[in-house]
Amino acid sequence: MFHSDISHFSRRHLLAQSAFGLSGLAACWLQQSQQAAAAPPKPDLTRRAFDLKPRQSAQAPQATAMISMFMQGGPSHIDMFDPKPELTKRHLQSFTGDIKYDNAGEASSRLFGSPWRFRKYGQCEMDLSELVPHLGSVADEICLIRSMHTGVNNHGESINALNTGRQLRGRPSLGSWLSYGLGTECQDLPAFMILTDPTGLPVLGVENWQNGWLPAVYQGTVVRPQEPRILNLDATPELRGRRQEHLLNYLRQVNQQYQEQHPGELDIAARIQSYELASRMQTAAKEAMDISKESESVHKLYGIDNPVTKDYGTRCLIARRLVERGVRFVQLHTGNQTWDHHGGITTALPDVCKKTDQPAAALIQDLKQTGLLDTTLVHWGGEMGRLPVIQNEKNIGRDHNTYGFSMWLAGGGVKGGCIHGETDELGHKAVTDVVNHYDYHATLMYLFGLDASQLSFARSTGLGSLLDGQPGRVVSEILRRPPEST
Amino acid sequence: MKCQAVPDCADCHENSIRNARPECGLVGSCRVSHILPLFAVLLFCATESRGATGPETELRFEQDVRPILKAHCWHCHGEEAELKGGLDTRLVRLMMKGGDSGPAIVAGNHSDSLLYQKVASGEMPPADKKLSEAETDVLVRWLDAGAPTSRPEPEHLPPGETLMEEDRQHWSFQPVARPEIPAVRHAELVRSPVDAFLLSVLESQGLSFNVPADPATLVRRLYLDLTGLPPTPEVVERFVSSESGNAWELLVDEVLASPAYGERWGRHWLDVAGYADSDGYSEADPERKWAWKYRDYVIRSFNSDKPWNQFLTEQLAGDEMLAPPYQDLTPEQSDQLTATGFLRMAPDGTADSASEQMLARNDVMADTIRVVSTSLLGLSVGCAQCHEHRYDPVTQEDYYRLRAIFEPAYDWKNWRNPNARLVSLWSAETRTAAAAVDAELAEIAVKRTTELDSIVAETFERELTKLPASVQSLARQARETTADKRTDEQNQLIRQYPFLNVDRGSVYLYLPDRLTGFTKKWDELTEETRKKRPAEDLVMCLTEEPGKIPVTHLFSRGDFQQPRQEVAPGELTVLNTSGSSIPLDDPGLPTSGRRLAWARRLTSGDHPLLARVLVNRFWLQHFGRGLVGTPGDFGVKGERPSHPELLDWLARTFMEEGWSLKKFHRMILTSAAWRQSSVRRPEHDAIDPENRLIGRMSVRRLEAETVRDAMLAVSGQLTTQMYGEPVPVSPDDVGQIVLAIDTRDSAGRPSGKMIPLGDREFRRSIYVQVRRSMPLGVLEPFDLPTLTPNCEQRSSSTGPGQALMMLNNPFVQQNSKVIAQRVVKEAGSDTASQVQRAWQLILGKKATEAEVQQAVAFLADEIAAAEMAEEVTPQPSAPTEGAANPEAVPVEEKHSQAALSLLCHALLSSGGFLYAD
Repeated sequence: MFHSDISHFSRRHLLAQSAFGLSGLAACWLQQSQQAAAAPPKPDLTRRAFDLKPRQSAQAPQATAMISMFMQGGPSHIDMFDPKPELTKRHLQSFTGDIKYDNAGEASSRLFGSPWRFRKYGQCEMDLSELVPHLGSVADEICLIRSMHTGVNNHGESINALNTGRQLRGRPSLGSWLSYGLGTECQDLPAFMILTDPTGLPVLGVENWQNGWLPAVYQGTVVRPQEPRILNLDATPELRGRRQEHLLNYLRQVNQQYQEQHPGELDIAARIQSYELASRMQTAAKEAMDISKESESVHKLYGIDNPVTKDYGTRCLIARRLVERGVRFVQLHTGNQTWDHHGGITTALPDVCKKTDQPAAALIQDLKQTGLLDTTLVHWGGEMGRLPVIQNEKNIGRDHNTYGFSMWLAGGGVKGGCIHGETDELGHKAVTDVVNHYDYHATLMYLFGLDASQLSFARSTGLGSLLDGQPGRVVSEILRRPPEST
Repeated sequence: MKCQAVPDCADCHENSIRNARPECGLVGSCRVSHILPLFAVLLFCATESRGATGPETELRFEQDVRPILKAHCWHCHGEEAELKGGLDTRLVRLMMKGGDSGPAIVAGNHSDSLLYQKVASGEMPPADKKLSEAETDVLVRWLDAGAPTSRPEPEHLPPGETLMEEDRQHWSFQPVARPEIPAVRHAELVRSPVDAFLLSVLESQGLSFNVPADPATLVRRLYLDLTGLPPTPEVVERFVSSESGNAWELLVDEVLASPAYGERWGRHWLDVAGYADSDGYSEADPERKWAWKYRDYVIRSFNSDKPWNQFLTEQLAGDEMLAPPYQDLTPEQSDQLTATGFLRMAPDGTADSASEQMLARNDVMADTIRVVSTSLLGLSVGCAQCHEHRYDPVTQEDYYRLRAIFEPAYDWKNWRNPNARLVSLWSAETRTAAAAVDAELAEIAVKRTTELDSIVAETFERELTKLPASVQSLARQARETTADKRTDEQNQLIRQYPFLNVDRGSVYLYLPDRLTGFTKKWDELTEETRKKRPAEDLVMCLTEEPGKIPVTHLFSRGDFQQPRQEVAPGELTVLNTSGSSIPLDDPGLPTSGRRLAWARRLTSGDHPLLARVLVNRFWLQHFGRGLVGTPGDFGVKGERPSHPELLDWLARTFMEEGWSLKKFHRMILTSAAWRQSSVRRPEHDAIDPENRLIGRMSVRRLEAETVRDAMLAVSGQLTTQMYGEPVPVSPDDVGQIVLAIDTRDSAGRPSGKMIPLGDREFRRSIYVQVRRSMPLGVLEPFDLPTLTPNCEQRSSSTGPGQALMMLNNPFVQQNSKVIAQRVVKEAGSDTASQVQRAWQLILGKKATEAEVQQAVAFLADEIAAAEMAEEVTPQPSAPTEGAANPEAVPVEEKHSQAALSLLCHALLSSGGFLYAD
């Protein structure tokens, strides 16, 4: 059905149309999206109505969608991504340098070399540990950053730093910024969707997808971890079809009259939109969540046939389906403190890697096969890494480390087979080409054709932006088309 | 939304307020000045004017520079006894002296100042959070101006001392003033002193109040505000057509007297207290079977307008107003004990063996301190659990002083699990009656066993006769020998004749019928006797064990495994202006008296924070925003009050007029300000888009409970039964949380069994069980708070989840149907009258002519379409409803009823229902 060189954008269009027919609605949307294409590069202070119509970015985007696999708790970079021969050499020796523990009570000063072997993967010869062999198979597609730094040693704060730009609470999350800046290419699904883990929400809970001080329409929509993935998606038999359509038409009229009586109330406008979206989601969301039509080989690729990888694999596949349908930002969460290995790391870390490694690698492979990887930025990472010393001698673990840790990106304009930055010889602190959260955000926004310091919202306290005056550097070394060459 | 786990060290590194809240890049500067530069000075004339640092204003160390250094530098250079690099940045003279690298500052020259160089190069502070440009700019200007201070610096500064004169100057720590009611130009607009305060600020901006809202809107606003339920059309009509001059005042009094008032306003307090019917903390989330008594206490207290000084004292120290062992209490005394449930609301993981016990115990205390400090002090003292508060003048020792007030009751080393803390409210008489029943039950048990034993013996004898006579005596011997002493021969015999082993458990195999009868007889007797036992009556409360007073230690880094110096109970240093003290152990009381002393101090009438925090929260509920926009944070990072004089006037009036909330309500509700229209005006929006000056009413979305309760009220299904055990919640077969008795098996699998709840299904939402891990499906989408541990201010979001619920949840549809039936019953068969009635019931006002026409057309279309659909696909001849009802509903009526139900559904989903104008 699809020609091989079909652009990803039109593929998304075609999918939307073939699934739901080119209804009047879709036609109307096409028209709207063309009208809305002239978005201003500067903050639009006069914008009073907020919606999710697609807007063009100031610069030509390299990424048009993002999937973030957030690994809350702090995956141990020195056991997975960042080999440290010196650490292995000095295994169980005393560490004499300056180190910040989160839990001083259990801290030991003895170094702990990684019990897992590293080897080289791909043509790029990327060193990865035996914990992530599947990732190794796509090493040539990913860009591994080994010099991440937030410097705030608590989960909540560091999550906020990476997810909202600051360690404080109450700010808009990345998905909200992208939805605000770019709207969505799919008017039948929320722009910003969250796939949570069956075992519960990550630290900070619903704040991970809050809109902060951006309008409520940019809040993330949560997909439940089991069926039904979205509640109240089915109309009761009596209301299905024509009756509901009639109800919605009439409701729109009544609400518009109410809005006319309350000019300037943005929340009412957002509510009218929420009904429109909800009605379209009834079919679209169900279709998007239904993975039964995916081939057996795809199911196998993601490990959906295996009880260990089934849950995360299913969610990765759903994420691909959402992005394929034009959702702007999808974030997958692991459970509460899944990666927070203060103790028992030698068994707990392999366990969680087994659950996530194959699905995460499958996502890259699948996106690559379907041609979506070029324009879909994939992120894998937690809010911190872990210390090279032992925490809890009796049940060995590693304490928090936000001074140097790893994460990886793929697709969406990022170089494949690339390693960026270094930590010190023990993996404690990022020392070369350090990337902090401001840099990460500046880079991410750049890939979307946005400027992290320009895209802003008129708050009561002045303009607010993702960077809010903090310096953020676009990390051009990891980009296929860095700013200089565009 | 699942029960949210508390992040580790959440106390240190999360603000206490749950919701999005503006924060300002400029530490210690007045953020409001960014919004309203025109009248910032005017608004803050009673407080500091940190915001007004224009170029002409000279910067001072204490006001302008110190807050920046405190936030960014003091942790290493000042606060700890050991100074990094020998540099102390707490005073200008200390910075001039400098550290190992020489002087940190050079007055008059920023570029020569090491401090500036380190900051500008990004080397300092070493952590992630750098100084903002504005902060650096302040440093530069201040250094260039010669690094001036406001006053001579202290000669002595003890190591680590961080509390200085400037900290005491923070607005909320000042005594509550007694401001004059200001004069206004348009005195004719003033109906209440509140109006004068608001109007004087509005007038200074060339603004004024909005026009009054129309009467029907006002009545609906009043009912939703005070009762969380919509008014009936009759009440609206009565008020709209009333010509009496004081009709509004009479209506306000009438609604305040309604029992529904306590159910609505009690809910606000329960948010702040973090009320829940489950322990939270861990996955198990065990139920708290008796928490509801505290909820009922709160509702009763609101309805009886219990003075707040009493209300709070009871909640903090009700047990200390009584004497242990808390027996034979009068109803008032029971209330006092129940009130301490306030201090038992925090999540408590100690009933779950999976929790790490010592940690869980200390977490209960930390969460309780969070609830107490945010609700009563408007301060998030939690930061000081691990280190000096970054922004507020709360030292780590202060935190443990506060903790010491509560220590004797919690006593973490001699912990009592939640069940062990329950106290029985039985009277002596009831206890005797229960003991008598228990004795009777014991006797029954003995008799039952005796009879059973005789049946066993009888069975044995009977079976024995069936054996050959030769083995009978051997067999008897075998039976009478204990198992371990039997000979091989005896064992052989028993294997051959199993009846030889007949006992209480196996006798039914020989005499099934007789045993069935036996069991039935005794079971019935036991059950009947047990029924005579008085029902359990326990209360979840906080008590002390007399004579046991544990020592409080400061915990280094907040870690209970690293205890440091002993700390005595006391108030936060910065608040202790009166020199009042809290006893270690009050000799006049059987308990330590610590909480009682603190409660008396808080409610003494001269506490700077308590009344301000309370009236601000009341204001927030009436207007949708507090005079201080951060109701749980009156500290440095919190917002400054928009109307400081008004806040003080309200606080003072509240205390002086008997701490009566109902008086407060009357004052607000009869004001012109509260009765304004909510429609925005461009001229007002241009100057005050956030409506901080209250030049109109704010449009507010109904809260989760109000959405549900109002639907039930409109459909007429609402059960008005008050108080008692909560209506249980349980997951349904798809995992949505519904009102139902949990019939899942121990592995959590659905059993498919349904136990009807009857009328309880239609009780108000405040009576719905608050299971932290199971938010009710119809409440959750509308921002039901997650209580970890409490909620200072609810958020109000708008998203497709709410829309999907309104469209597709069976609850909404069922209510729409019932409303449609009610409409027909009350308005008859005329379509226009039906529309009018639906409008009045659901939206609280009359439909305009155009609206009626539009709705009538909608109904006609819908009926026509339904008829057409029926012609295309004929319906089965015997509809299920007809089976239950012998008089089958005529087809036309069925269609018109369905159409009307659809209309009601649309109105329930509309802005007119979901918002209060």
